[in-house]
Amino acid sequence: MNRRTFLKIAGMGSISLAAGCSPAEKNLFSLVHAPDDMVTGKATWYASTCRECPAGCGVLAKNREGRIIKVEGNPLHPINKGKLCMRGQAALQAVYNPDRLKTPLLRDKNGWQPISFAKAQSMLKYKTHDAAQKGSDRVRMLTEVVGNSQLSLFTDALKQWNAPAPLIFEPFAYETLKTANETVFGRKELMSYNMQDADVLVSFGADFLETWLSPVEYAHKFKTMHALKNGQKVPFYHIGPVQSLTGANADSWVQCNPGSECIVALGLVRQALDIRKGKQLPWSFRKPLFQATAPYTQDRVLEASGLSLAFYEKLVIELMGARKPLLLGTDTGAGDKKGLQTNVAVNLLNLLLDPNLTLLDFNNRHRVEIAAARSEVLQFFKSLQSDAVDLLILNNTNPAFSLPPKSGVKEALEQDDLFVVSFNNFMDETSQLADLIFPVAMPLETWDEYSGWQAVNSTLQPAMGRLTPTPHIGDVILDTAFENQKPAENYKTYLFSRLVADRKIIDEKDWVRLLQVGGAADSTATRNSAELDLKPQKIAALISQLVKADATDLAFSAIPSIRFFDGRGANKPWLCEIADPLTRVAWQSPVSMHPDTAKAQNIVQGDIIQIESQWGNLEAPVYVNEFVRPSLLVMNIGQGHQAYGRYALGKGVNPLAILPPEANTESGGPLFSTDQIKIRSTGRTQKLAYMYGSRTQHERPFALTVGLTELNQGKMPQKTGLTMEDFPLTLPLPEGYDPKRDFYPPHDHEKYRWAMVVDLDRCIGCGACTAACYAENNIGIVGEKRVLEGREMTWLSIERFQDPHQKSKVTFLPMLCQHCDNAPCESVCPVYAPHHSKEGINNQIYNRCIGTRYCVQNCPYKVRRFNWFDWRWPDPMNVQLNPDVTVRSKGVMEKCSFCIQRIKVAHSNANNEKRPIRDGEVIPACVQTCPTDALVFGSLMDKQSRVRKLVADPRAYQAMGYLNTKPAVIYLKKVLREA
Amino acid sequence: MPELTYASIDQTVLNTLTPPKRYYWAIVAVLFLGVLVGAACWAYQIFVGIGAGGQNNPVAWGTYLINFVFWVGIAHSGTLISAILHLFRAGWRNPIARAAETMTVFAVCIAGLFPFIHLGRVWQVMYMIPYPNQRLLWPNFLSPLMFDVIAISTYLTVSSLFWYTGLLPDLAAIRDRAEGTRKKVFTILAMGWTGAHEQWRHYTRGYLFFAALATPLVISVHSVVSWDFALGIVPGWHTTIFAPYFVAGAIHSGLAMVLTLMIPLRKIFSYQKIITQSVLENVAKTIVFTGLIVGFAYATEFFIAWYSHNAVEIEQFRWRATGEYRWGFYFMVVCNTLIPLLFLFKKVRTTIASLFIISLIVNFGMWWERFVIIIGGVARGFSPHAWGLYAPSLIEYGIMLGAFSLFFFLFLLFAKHLPSVSMTEMKETLDHGGSHAG
Repeated sequence: MNRRTFLKIAGMGSISLAAGCSPAEKNLFSLVHAPDDMVTGKATWYASTCRECPAGCGVLAKNREGRIIKVEGNPLHPINKGKLCMRGQAALQAVYNPDRLKTPLLRDKNGWQPISFAKAQSMLKYKTHDAAQKGSDRVRMLTEVVGNSQLSLFTDALKQWNAPAPLIFEPFAYETLKTANETVFGRKELMSYNMQDADVLVSFGADFLETWLSPVEYAHKFKTMHALKNGQKVPFYHIGPVQSLTGANADSWVQCNPGSECIVALGLVRQALDIRKGKQLPWSFRKPLFQATAPYTQDRVLEASGLSLAFYEKLVIELMGARKPLLLGTDTGAGDKKGLQTNVAVNLLNLLLDPNLTLLDFNNRHRVEIAAARSEVLQFFKSLQSDAVDLLILNNTNPAFSLPPKSGVKEALEQDDLFVVSFNNFMDETSQLADLIFPVAMPLETWDEYSGWQAVNSTLQPAMGRLTPTPHIGDVILDTAFENQKPAENYKTYLFSRLVADRKIIDEKDWVRLLQVGGAADSTATRNSAELDLKPQKIAALISQLVKADATDLAFSAIPSIRFFDGRGANKPWLCEIADPLTRVAWQSPVSMHPDTAKAQNIVQGDIIQIESQWGNLEAPVYVNEFVRPSLLVMNIGQGHQAYGRYALGKGVNPLAILPPEANTESGGPLFSTDQIKIRSTGRTQKLAYMYGSRTQHERPFALTVGLTELNQGKMPQKTGLTMEDFPLTLPLPEGYDPKRDFYPPHDHEKYRWAMVVDLDRCIGCGACTAACYAENNIGIVGEKRVLEGREMTWLSIERFQDPHQKSKVTFLPMLCQHCDNAPCESVCPVYAPHHSKEGINNQIYNRCIGTRYCVQNCPYKVRRFNWFDWRWPDPMNVQLNPDVTVRSKGVMEKCSFCIQRIKVAHSNANNEKRPIRDGEVIPACVQTCPTDALVFGSLMDKQSRVRKLVADPRAYQAMGYLNTKPAVIYLKKVLREA
Repeated sequence: MPELTYASIDQTVLNTLTPPKRYYWAIVAVLFLGVLVGAACWAYQIFVGIGAGGQNNPVAWGTYLINFVFWVGIAHSGTLISAILHLFRAGWRNPIARAAETMTVFAVCIAGLFPFIHLGRVWQVMYMIPYPNQRLLWPNFLSPLMFDVIAISTYLTVSSLFWYTGLLPDLAAIRDRAEGTRKKVFTILAMGWTGAHEQWRHYTRGYLFFAALATPLVISVHSVVSWDFALGIVPGWHTTIFAPYFVAGAIHSGLAMVLTLMIPLRKIFSYQKIITQSVLENVAKTIVFTGLIVGFAYATEFFIAWYSHNAVEIEQFRWRATGEYRWGFYFMVVCNTLIPLLFLFKKVRTTIASLFIISLIVNFGMWWERFVIIIGGVARGFSPHAWGLYAPSLIEYGIMLGAFSLFFFLFLLFAKHLPSVSMTEMKETLDHGGSHAG
């Protein structure tokens, strides 16, 4: 080859490389046409509303260079007050999901064919008009819970097509609660509860910290009520066969026989009536109740429920003596057959014990109340087969997954003469059965409104540039349904005009103002009159039917999951990877079984059992724990997908497979439990991907508790010794230096000494902080296999410790890098990769790390995480990565940095304004999102800072303080209210 | 040794250097294949990450460090035999000193490889070297791993020089009898040794100084290795007895390895007259002694754990004896302390077969001792929530295979190409039954 040919070939190669291999232009933004508010390197925050569940929390989407990198709670929003659960934060992983559909898909005989949006829309137009012309009611629609504007648009559109209004489907629609409210108060509504003002709280299973109605709102209200205040703690009792996360946060979880909750509740009603509680109510109301509850004597209650006499008497005394007691009904699934009766009795108790119903808010009702009952949904699918229906439109629902397999969804959707359009961004079980899948813009990409409470205005706005050309569903419907008399040019103008028409906003200026705030109380909302429509006969009729609790050998219950909700979270890797708070199992959905039951059945943890009912069977590994009653098997709903993308597919098991398809005849609600099951061992086992080495803390000072009486007696002896039990609290400051104990001289800190106080009494173990940490710090997702190998990367894990004497008692310990002043990791690294900063932070210098892993070996808290591999973020998941935080490569150690990137921002702001950083100015991601304010961050050098004041609390201690590591994470003991 | 003469010693030793047969090369080739397997495993690990091994969150150190300590331990008895016993004028060490020293050099080389294999980012290993740089970044001399770097590299340097110095007169003896290329090679290697009186005077002095210099290293190197653990705060590691405990263990395993190597060597090269029964017997007696020391150390650890009243320590040792790795613990107690006690019986320590088998058992047991200590401490550390177990992966086994192959590969090459018994020192024993009395 001579020089000429070489140059020719080289030239051709580079040209073809430049032309052929460069990716197509996909700019989220261009600095040439940058939006006014976009400054490179500076985040812009857009207020919006979370649509991951019907609660409707306000969110702030953090936009950097045209893309959202994090979602946080909106502090101005009346529902969630700045907090956000892990599901809300994981909304980003739907937007950036690698399995998100980019174009509409049409089914033909060769499978799915991608088509253009224009074609899909014209197809929809043709189908709808064709159906409309053929006759009435030939188009049907099933939608998730949506905002008023979308709902009215759908209704109008369907009217155009001579079709009935859309049916609103939610797997958890609280039918029993709604029916009970109708029965007792005459209102088929879902009011909210002012839990924060209660002075006794009794719940019959409502999992309000996980999924029930509005978990972030209630987590916040719950801790406002239940936190230690003036040496007192409001009691909270959780009565039910399963200890959910909510139950784990109760002062006591009182196990009752499955299905006997209503007997306990009715017994309490009887007690209340006996002592003439609610005497303001007319006798005509109380008399029929008095007669109906006659059988629920104390003896009967105790016999049926299995409660102890001592507890029952205590419960009666506390409840009857309370000024503002609050009782809550059954759980989200309300699988219990007698759930309606329980909820009726609970309502009666609330009414009798506080006839003014001060804690029930009928104005701020939960939006999910508009959802149809399960019975109507089942009827809907039946009618698809019986009626002449040409077209079915599904909006972001997955009934094929969230209804039991025998519900007839599959049969209905598979009909040849039914054309099914699924507006969905994912190939889920339902979309798989559709004929046309039409991806539409996601909530974080659209203009919309959705109000979780009736009396709140809450808006959505596009928070980022578009990754796909998907249109808004509103625009699609507008263009399809209306020929000439289009109500608005596009959905945005439609939304605006509707809000103006409803007097939610006055003008454009007001609209912008609302958008900026994201959500505000609605002054125009119609106030409900306090008048209640009491119908005692109906109630009496309902409760007098009951005779006894079912006696059963083995029952099965499916409960909603804090991670996956009804299953929609299962395709988001953060939610899969963050372990379940109670079982600490990630990626899998084992079936929980009490040790006694396991022993009786000769089953050990990890055995795969087959559970069979008349409706089907499933195989799942057993997780043995004390959080369920003996003879009850419990599984979380949400996994076991047969479609729905790489993260959901084939992970876990769907418990709905063995549940009855029919609805409860009284409430119209679904049945999430059955007592007609048989189990048998398959002889196979599965390794469970749990994230703990021991369930108890082996008498070590990790997660400490203190009795309320002990605390109030104030007899906390001064600790001065050197042993594990007798080591003083040693602040990571020069004053914590003691030549008797210390070998090395103290660190001198420059202006700040960052520290965190973790109040274990406030931590509910929900894991929102962990999700925030994953999002903020670009933490790798390792997957099920690597979790099994013990290689999870989480920087903040909520360690679960069971009490060795009473295994169902749980203490949650958020464990993160302790930023010790005497850090064992720092001295052993040969290259100074862990480095003690002038502000006390234990910095890990990734570039310097060579991966000896001595630091993690020497860390008593085991909070350091090693990059065993290069973790991958499949495209476009990488778009979410926080540009302020390095993505670590294989072979280096990493760990919590106290969100140093946020500290640096505070520094630069303070420098610009020539002032010191104010207390509370630096808010790490975990602290920001904690729904119960369990975490406080600040500088210990500032004598007036909140952390400095909190470390003076008599409950303050350091985990394994006796090692003299002088941690800067200081825990406050959990306070146990003696049961 | 009445039958031995200067000539017969020369004859016996030089006979071992005759051109090897084909099966020798076959074995060398198989071992080389093993080395390639290990190298391939390491390359794979560098490519995908340390996750190729079995280490995980509580147990971040796996077989790489077990093997590191194991090989450093093996390396110890070589210097003990050649230097300390030389200073003590223990004449029985002369026949085995050369082979033991060679074993030391190769074992240190292999041990030195493991920290590199262990590193997450081996390509950045130069950060451990104190080179001048603009940002004034230095290695952390407080870190036991830095102590290690210095200790191991010093040990490698000194033991190689000591070994080579001892070889000089023998190299010259080979040179004098060699022809052709071989002669040229050995002329260079012998560095102009003529056997002049002045040279002998310098040589014996130098050898003595080297021995004196190497002696503290025997103690210090393994003490430093033990501080890799003892200076950590991990329960089961953080104890003051670790230095003597590790040194005794190192000598224990090293002596066992000497037996493992000597017995076949003696048979194959017909060294029966040189490496006599009584030499092997002396080694066996020393093994009883070191075995008792490590046994005492095992017991002391348990006693201290109980005596401390510290829940963490007590749990660590309760679990060591009853937990998931209890078999490792029983291997270590039985193989290292109890079985060597059989050497108390004269019959056992004078039978070649039992000597060989027990030496293998001790090697096995000492590997498990390192497993129990290195894995056990962190697997059951302070945080119960973080407790976890570890099992080596195939890649780790591959690398382990490569390491053993490399060792025997080198040793086999040595045995056929250099005198595996020191002719010089053997001849000295003929005259005054001791070593160079300078």
